[in-house]
Amino acid sequence: MSASAVFILDVKGKPLISRNYKGDVAMSKIEHFMPLLVQREEEGALAPLLSHGQVHFLWTKHSNLYLVATTSKNANASLVYSFLYKTIEVFCEYFKELEEESIRDNFVIVYELLDELMDFGFPQTTDSKILQEYITQQSNKLETGKSRVPPTVTNAVSWRSEGIKYKKNEVFIDVIESVNLLVNANGSVLLSEIVGTIKLKVFLSGMPELRLGLNDRVLFELTGRSKNKSVELEDVKFHQCVRLSRFDNDRTISFIPPDGDFELMSYRLSTQVKPLIWIESVIEKFSHSRVEITVKAKGQFKKQSVANGVEISVPVPSDADSPRFKTSVGSAKYVPERNVVIWSIKSFPGGKEYLMRAHFGLPSVEKEEVEGRPPIGVKFEIPYFTVSGIQVRYMKIIEKSGYQALPWVRYITQSGDYQLRTS
Amino acid sequence: MPYLGSEDVVKELKKALCNPHIQADRLRYRNVIQRVIRYMTQGLDMSGVFMEMVKASATVDIVQKKLVYLYMCTYAPLKPDLALLAINTLCKDCSDPNPMVRGLALRSMCSLRMPGVQEYIQQPILNGLRDKASYVRRVAVLGCAKMHNLHGDSEVDGALVNELYSLLRDQDPIVVVNCLRSLEEILKQEGGVVINKPIAHHLLNRMSKLDQWGQAEVLNFLLRYQPRSEEELFDILNLLDSFLKSSSPGVVMGATKLFLILAKMFPHVQTDVLVRVKGPLLAACSSESRELCFVALCHVRQILHSLPGHFSSHYKKFFCSYSEPHYIKLQKVEVLCELVNDEDVQQVLEELRGYCTDVSADFAQAAIFAIGGIARTYTDQCVQILTELLGLRQEHITTVVVQTFRDLVWLCPQCTEAVCQALPGCEENIQDSEGKQALIWLLGVHGERIPNAPYVLEDFVENVKSETFPAVKMELLTALLRLFLSRPAECQDMLGRLLYYCIEEEKDMAVRDRGLFYYRLLLVGIDEVKRILCSPKSDPTLGLLEDPAERPVNSWASDFNTLVPVYGKAHWATISKCQGAERCDPELPKTSSFAASGPLIPEENKERVQELPDSGALMLVPNRQLTADYFEKTWLSLKVAHQQVLPWRGEFHPDTLQMALQVVNIQTIAMSRAGSRPWKAYLSAQDDTGCLFLTELLLEPGNSEMQISVKQNEARTETLNSFISVLETVIGTIEEIKS
Repeated sequence: MSASAVFILDVKGKPLISRNYKGDVAMSKIEHFMPLLVQREEEGALAPLLSHGQVHFLWTKHSNLYLVATTSKNANASLVYSFLYKTIEVFCEYFKELEEESIRDNFVIVYELLDELMDFGFPQTTDSKILQEYITQQSNKLETGKSRVPPTVTNAVSWRSEGIKYKKNEVFIDVIESVNLLVNANGSVLLSEIVGTIKLKVFLSGMPELRLGLNDRVLFELTGRSKNKSVELEDVKFHQCVRLSRFDNDRTISFIPPDGDFELMSYRLSTQVKPLIWIESVIEKFSHSRVEITVKAKGQFKKQSVANGVEISVPVPSDADSPRFKTSVGSAKYVPERNVVIWSIKSFPGGKEYLMRAHFGLPSVEKEEVEGRPPIGVKFEIPYFTVSGIQVRYMKIIEKSGYQALPWVRYITQSGDYQLRTS
Repeated sequence: MPYLGSEDVVKELKKALCNPHIQADRLRYRNVIQRVIRYMTQGLDMSGVFMEMVKASATVDIVQKKLVYLYMCTYAPLKPDLALLAINTLCKDCSDPNPMVRGLALRSMCSLRMPGVQEYIQQPILNGLRDKASYVRRVAVLGCAKMHNLHGDSEVDGALVNELYSLLRDQDPIVVVNCLRSLEEILKQEGGVVINKPIAHHLLNRMSKLDQWGQAEVLNFLLRYQPRSEEELFDILNLLDSFLKSSSPGVVMGATKLFLILAKMFPHVQTDVLVRVKGPLLAACSSESRELCFVALCHVRQILHSLPGHFSSHYKKFFCSYSEPHYIKLQKVEVLCELVNDEDVQQVLEELRGYCTDVSADFAQAAIFAIGGIARTYTDQCVQILTELLGLRQEHITTVVVQTFRDLVWLCPQCTEAVCQALPGCEENIQDSEGKQALIWLLGVHGERIPNAPYVLEDFVENVKSETFPAVKMELLTALLRLFLSRPAECQDMLGRLLYYCIEEEKDMAVRDRGLFYYRLLLVGIDEVKRILCSPKSDPTLGLLEDPAERPVNSWASDFNTLVPVYGKAHWATISKCQGAERCDPELPKTSSFAASGPLIPEENKERVQELPDSGALMLVPNRQLTADYFEKTWLSLKVAHQQVLPWRGEFHPDTLQMALQVVNIQTIAMSRAGSRPWKAYLSAQDDTGCLFLTELLLEPGNSEMQISVKQNEARTETLNSFISVLETVIGTIEEIKS
């Protein structure tokens, strides 16, 4: 991959900040970007890749900013996009939110970061934890001369610095499974998949060696324990720190972790599961007078589990008015700016069934533009439960100083892209 | 960017920078410098304070240093003489005890991009290469490439190259990868960095230590390595196996490409690899980041070209979600279209049917066209859906459905009856030129089966004065004349009126000429009219040829994971073609970077483009008219000997092309009607030795280029090349006349 320059533009396409890495594409070319984008949008042919003459623009939008990489080479598209995302991620970690304001307020740091992230069009140090060791936000504090080189920049293990110390050595393991669901208007499940991630929060001193044991079916078959309950993982992906060769050989997940938060691994399960929260809805629209909505929600998971923070958003016509609700549990709220009713239920035990009715008035003059049919969306979180039944069997922590460290495990199932189409 | 009052600002800042009180107060001094940078960022010309900024670089505050160096890099090309003054400070900083400062100074010095700086940076770079801090070595290694670029295309410094090659063994992974990048840049004239066996194996062993950028980069460089033996090849594949499962999509794609290229002699390995990346690719297709999702979908389409059934069992993954952006939905519809098989056709059609009534007219139309595509295989089901759509009486839907019908009737004559029954009533919901043309054509060609055809056409004749599109009028003339042949009693009167209007009142020359032509044709006699107008009403053979012949994986493996599949091969060809033209333009400064982009145009294509048409060796024999049947048989039995794409913009008259081809003794066997999309033509020619050249020309809808595929019954490269250059000249000439 090779990017010639990186630009951050405001909504109108005016460059807020830019960095010319290679100097082989004139910086003025960016002026063509916005007109091109607008033109393509009108033609209905907008794509994340635009070209003008011999310049290719690879762009992405984040809040009210456009991030654009220009290149004149036949670059590797997915890598350039990954770099732009990485840039966004780094900025977000520095400024909490990445938007026009934060770029304007922090232009010095932005310049510093752009300088370290890439050189001559090639990504260099992109790990925000390492960057944070030598580019700090308190730049108003004057440091005289002695700013040290963080050891990580020169370390063999590039993702962890040496000499980290904690009083209490702990690891928090979060096993999170998100359920993606797409249900047709007639109630048939079009798509149902589970994307699992294991996230770690590491507070460990020194250079610890970690080994994670899961009830992985392949591993159990290898070791002849196939009678035990196990899970078949698909598309397993690991953080850079995991020794892939060992996993391939004997399915051991061993690694030296980075400090703090990171995502250790992700996996996918495409086994069909019953939708955890099932919605049946009737949306009746009587033109010029009213809309009547009836939504039935059913928890199709174990009785012992409870779904928390359930939010069911039901679309309503944009010209609806005077909402009235009746719910058997929880509360409903009309959010006119998103054209939805949100029905929230704080805790929703498995096996239960609840009902909501909503009534809206419609103006007698019908508006002209046609509206789409947005789906019903559901958000929820079920703690102490995984759909797949994955389990952390052990987490071994070995450090040469021999300290005792405690691993904590937490299981959560949550909604991902959970949509039920309406007719 | 000129900015009102910028002179005052410069003056004020200059004063502040010179003020000894401010200089003494570090915090205030830095604030003034920050203001300079802020204005610079906003586009004001701050080059006026260059001298003062150079002075400010002599500081212990590293942030201030960074800002000043940034300033210098921005304005050095404008003030080269002043920038030389800063070199001294930079050189001094290059030997600072703090490696961060050394690296920063070296990086900035190499980025000055002004003439004459080379002699000053050479020594610091050489020192940097041997620096004990890897941070500095990383910078120095890339500095070599920057220095080389500054020199222009001067000779390569052998000693430096050797030094870089030896640094490939550096401890630091980023230094290693930067070495590769730098060598590639320096040696681009000689074909880039050489990856021999020891280097390849060394890189392979270091792979797991690299970050995702490095891994992707190394995978790309390894494409160049040719394993000596099969055993070595499979060792490498085994070693890289785990990268197919990397969490970075860039690395997965890079690894896939490497596998496909290395295993080009082993089709089963390639297929196996494509099976294994199915999961990661599918995951990327439903990834949260839209751009990566888009790129993955483009690659899925690429794979489907060679392995049509590859993702069939996962067709539901390509169902569109409400909130997805347009470009993703369109790609998904295209993918769905290619995934259809006997088992899933019902569900896919049901899903597409839902999209046809989407709020976005563009998306709805794309879905209808997709159903039209599927109709070539599953005609009955699709025609039924399309007919139902007509019942919605929506303008944007009706017009596209009728266009789809027109193409379908041409390719699958068995559905004519159903289409004819569906047509009545459509005319009320069609306003645009394309839709009207399609409807009128259908009424003209199949009018004898549509009871009210004359009355619909009559309405068009009545309103011909207010008709704005000449193309519609032309189509109307032809259609009415055709219908007149089958239903004379009902049409005679209005045909007279239409001809009268076209000849006497019409302003558009083409329409008037067409009117006159038909008038004179009618004068010659009805038999002659029949002979000319009663052409075939369908051409199912085109539908047959439409099925993409299984394209081998190797035909696109080298384009995998570049911009080519993302743009689409045909679109890419136009882009690189016009880039090539720009490159030849002496007005433009020579862009050195472009020369390095080796795989932009396949090597053999480039040569051909430059080759002057030389038909001396080739003698095409006139009047070798083949029968369509014989042509089809031969076409299907041969393999494509050559494929290329020529730029092609706008409308044209096929007749002109046919005439021009006739002049050079290339016969036209069959040709689509003007304006239809996709437009196709089949050509044949024979040379004096009896060698046959069969050619297909293809204009895809929406693309501005012509795809040419040539088949040859005897494989002879020289004659093939000369034939292609003849063809190119003809098409090029037509293109010129047109514009």
